[in-house]
Amino acid sequence: MLGLQPGSSTVVPTSAPVGHRFEPYDSNGGSIAAVCGKDFCIIASDTRQSTGYSIQTRYKPKVFRLNDKATLATNGFAADAEAMVSRIRQRLEWYRHSHGRSMPLHAIARMISTILYGKRFFPYYVYNILGGLDEEGKGAVYSFDPVGSYEREFCRAAGAAQSLIQPFLDNQIMFKNQHSTPEHTVPKPGEMSLPDVLKIVMDSFTSATERHIEVGDGLEMFVVRTPPSAQGEAIGAASVDLKAMGGVEAVGGEDEQEEGAVMVIRRELKKD
Amino acid sequence: MSDITTLNGGSCIAFKGKNCVAIACDLRLGNQALTVACNRDKVFKITDKTYLGMTGLASDVDTLRSAFRYRLNMYRMKEEREIEPETFAHLVSSTLYEKRFGPYFIEPIIAGLNSNNEPFIAAADLIGCLNFAKDFVVTGTASDKLFGMAEGLWEPDLGPEELFESISQALLGALERDALSGWGAIVRVITPDKVIERTLQSRQD
Repeated sequence: MLGLQPGSSTVVPTSAPVGHRFEPYDSNGGSIAAVCGKDFCIIASDTRQSTGYSIQTRYKPKVFRLNDKATLATNGFAADAEAMVSRIRQRLEWYRHSHGRSMPLHAIARMISTILYGKRFFPYYVYNILGGLDEEGKGAVYSFDPVGSYEREFCRAAGAAQSLIQPFLDNQIMFKNQHSTPEHTVPKPGEMSLPDVLKIVMDSFTSATERHIEVGDGLEMFVVRTPPSAQGEAIGAASVDLKAMGGVEAVGGEDEQEEGAVMVIRRELKKD
Repeated sequence: MSDITTLNGGSCIAFKGKNCVAIACDLRLGNQALTVACNRDKVFKITDKTYLGMTGLASDVDTLRSAFRYRLNMYRMKEEREIEPETFAHLVSSTLYEKRFGPYFIEPIIAGLNSNNEPFIAAADLIGCLNFAKDFVVTGTASDKLFGMAEGLWEPDLGPEELFESISQALLGALERDALSGWGAIVRVITPDKVIERTLQSRQD
């Protein structure tokens, strides 16, 4: 609105024009983590989605099954994550059409890296953790930054509660600051059993839920392993009865799924 | 960047146990990313069974240390007895609140056994808002990491040696993920008849 200053002949604007700027990014909270073992990999996330202090939903999956040997956890800006996962899935489908098989894990990792770096100057605001089995059937975790720098590791946490979960995993999975004694030998990283790792992952998220406002509501733990049916006698991770622990078949992905290859175990987390 | 609460770096943690408490801190003193010293103890003896840990701006830690020494001496002369940890927590709180609108940039934690040898821990923010936790308290630049570690490692009714192991693992784990804390640590376990003080080696980077 324009007004005239009393006793003045000049027109003085009393309000400035209001500018509106499009903000292309948001941060949607939540946390993800992945841990691998000898013959399995666990990829976990909470299911809360938030903006600031508001909870948008209590169930929004952040972990996506890609195929029998790869599962991807995303964290950061949910809309970018979704767009990125569709692109990855499309590329995996094209790969199957031209090669007649699923893309191996290390190749998916490099592909994600190039997809992310392709948007170097308008990045997908997403932290990714790719978990699964490598071509030798060993558990593998690949972690990425939003512009595609990546690394293969035994375990990784990312997201809002990264700072709470990562030091705990360093201690409990990598056995950092633990030393063997004559009575007790500390195991090597990546040699823990599936049920033991599941317990640590659950504890990590219950701890994070307790102390971080953006983490909570639900927990989804995807277990990738060589399915029990593919082996003669089930050994290692394949012999663990995940169904008895509430595990169900994970859906989604480009391939025809093998039963028991990727299963998901859901747990409740505190909702406050 | 020019945040004075994280200028010098450093972290503290206290655990409550069964008839004992533990309090531990790192040893780093820095100027932003530059490490200046690695012998800076952040935990101070208040009485034989009460200890105070302070993190934040190192100069304010020194100022408050002498302020508390003065106030404790006054308390001892007037009352002719040692201060209880509960009482000391309130003394810390009121000392900090006196500077409500120009605060000391420190966050203290208090750990001790009272005259009945019951464990007591407390923490406060920079203007003295007290938190009487029943499990553990943390403060400093690695506080978020310490929360994650402590929430996972702490359990009720730990004895002195178990408490030492838990608090040490919690602190060392957190320090390794914090660039502004580390360079060694000191752990003190306060029991009714003695204080066990141990210096921990840690990564020097």
